Amino acid sequence: MDNVWERARARYAQTPVPEELSFAVASAIRTGSRRRRAGRGLRRGLTGGLAACACFMLLVNANPTFARAVSDVPVLGGLARVFTVSEYTIDEREQLIDVRMPALELPESTDLEQRINTEIRTRIEQVLQEAENRARSVRDAYVETGGDAAEFIPVIIDVDYEIKCQNDQYLSFILTETETRANAYTEVYTYNIDLEAGRELTLRDMLGPDYVELANAAVREGIAAREAADPDATFFHDEAGFTSIDEDQAFYINEAGNPVVLFEKYELAPGYMGQLEFEVPVP
Amino acid sequence: MEQTVYQQLTDYLVAHQEDFYRLAFSYVKNRDAALDVVQESIVKALAKADTVRRPEYIKTWFYRILLNESMNHYRRTRRLVPLEDAAPEAADPRGDPAERLDLYDAIERLEPREQAVIRLRFFEDMKLEEIARVTSTNLNTVKSRLYKSLRKLRELTGEEC
Repeated sequence: MDNVWERARARYAQTPVPEELSFAVASAIRTGSRRRRAGRGLRRGLTGGLAACACFMLLVNANPTFARAVSDVPVLGGLARVFTVSEYTIDEREQLIDVRMPALELPESTDLEQRINTEIRTRIEQVLQEAENRARSVRDAYVETGGDAAEFIPVIIDVDYEIKCQNDQYLSFILTETETRANAYTEVYTYNIDLEAGRELTLRDMLGPDYVELANAAVREGIAAREAADPDATFFHDEAGFTSIDEDQAFYINEAGNPVVLFEKYELAPGYMGQLEFEVPVP
Repeated sequence: MEQTVYQQLTDYLVAHQEDFYRLAFSYVKNRDAALDVVQESIVKALAKADTVRRPEYIKTWFYRILLNESMNHYRRTRRLVPLEDAAPEAADPRGDPAERLDLYDAIERLEPREQAVIRLRFFEDMKLEEIARVTSTNLNTVKSRLYKSLRKLRELTGEEC
């Protein structure tokens, strides 16, 4: 018994290892740590002589490079930060899914950190599940009505996030889910955190008790200004038009520290106007 | 803390690169493809390095990525085997393969997941618990897969292994 395994092990161990392996590994390490820092916009494929030369340099002084790479993580107010925990692509018949999942690090308030991270994760899972079901039913309907399955154009689903504001006081980021068939439709989820108090912010926190009036005034002004500035800008009016923000209107905080209220496509205006946002100056 | 885990991870990757290559090669059977698999696994691992909090899991965590990459590549390409590679296996003129198949070749006749258990156990000397973590299954599944694979290997080689 041992003898048979010994022979098999020996054959396994004799697998010739190409000389390029160490170059390949070093260059992959370099790409990987760059990717980790950048978080997005990645290059695949590492072949080519240039890469090999560069790696050789890297091999020589690998450690300082790595040390620099890891100390280069974007830090927020010295403490809190949002970073990408998971990034993946699913490529199937019905759909192309691209996900960049953020997570939050709030060393001073781990309860809030956990709650928000769990919420983000479950929300992304739920959104993806729904989107997958929709994509599948769209495809089934297409095939049932005589379409050729091979010609079905997959639904493109893209989950991403964007940091809108990060300073010592506030951390604000939005999570978007875009589904593209013939038309693109985006859903936005917003997260606004008061870092000093360690809790999520509401519009009332930002604008005071009169927040509804203040925001409504800003939105009306914004609509009027846009209609005056651009003859192609159209908003719904009267019944279908803007009446008032909701109590839990989605908003993010911009770099100036002002809340910006968000309206989804079709909510205030025809689809071509897209998603609308209005800045509400803090009084 | 995080920095040291990251440092340990890169050190580990450099130190054990030949093991990774051999495992990748055992699936993809092609030098360039195996290099690609190793590279791609390392890039993925480092991009996600923040998810490893405890250094003792580095090994199984990385093997999981490596194994997934290898198997993905294997599944993608097994229908496209170059002719010269495929020929000898297809035209095995000897009658009963159970008599002569070498253990090492027999392993390749197993399912990819069975191959994983066998290679990790006997070539990489992993504990069954580690294999469970690498393959994201529970210990009992690993055990039953291992025994099933060993039984198949016995049938294929006719030897007591």
